[in-house]
Amino acid sequence: MKNKLNLLALSASKIKREHIQTLFVVLSLAMLVLGLGAPEDSSITGK
Amino acid sequence: MILLFAVASGFAFGLGWVRWLGQPYQPPALKHLWLVFVSFLPQFIAIYFPNTRAQISDEWASGILIASLIGLLGFAWLNRNLLGMKILFVGAVLNFTVIVANRGFMPISPQTASHLVSEEIVSEIPIGSRFGTKDILLLPEQTRFEILADRFLTPTWLNYPVAFSLGDVFLAIGIFLLLAIQTKKERDVP
Repeated sequence: MKNKLNLLALSASKIKREHIQTLFVVLSLAMLVLGLGAPEDSSITGK
Repeated sequence: MILLFAVASGFAFGLGWVRWLGQPYQPPALKHLWLVFVSFLPQFIAIYFPNTRAQISDEWASGILIASLIGLLGFAWLNRNLLGMKILFVGAVLNFTVIVANRGFMPISPQTASHLVSEEIVSEIPIGSRFGTKDILLLPEQTRFEILADRFLTPTWLNYPVAFSLGDVFLAIGIFLLLAIQTKKERDVP
């Protein structure tokens, strides 16, 4: 159990602030293009 | 989905490039990021989220879509100094123009729509009705700025039919460049 907790803490420490920031920016840009774009695909319209 | 592919491929290309240079990836330094969330949320509720979308009238949905587009255009304009954002802004203006000129939705002709769903289904949808998420079924002669409508189709060999506009092409190129190309200024950030 203790080993698992240590492993979890080690994994969490590898996720740096920059990684979260990058993820946040990419997510925002995905929202931006989804919001501005208007393609229509068959997965939504259901062919 | 096709625009999300442009985001994913631009990000993957950018990551690969900086790794090859032996440097960390620096995301584009965007200003006023809150504007994206504030502008996109109403559109998500009115256009994308099925439960709420069904309860909002077409008139309200088109108004919300236009308001959302204005907010997102503002964000693109405020960040126009970034590489790729100018191209993205041009695409956004093209889509905005054709949407505003056609009852607040992106026009698509029955002929193009029949590549996405069967012709029988298209024939049952009255002209002037909404189609899919942001589109409206209109005959080409009824469409204003028809050249900017959802009139292009992905190649058949792709086996994934998508109708897209000229504005969508600019958006895809812009977002790809924004994420893929690290300017010297971005690379120099410690």
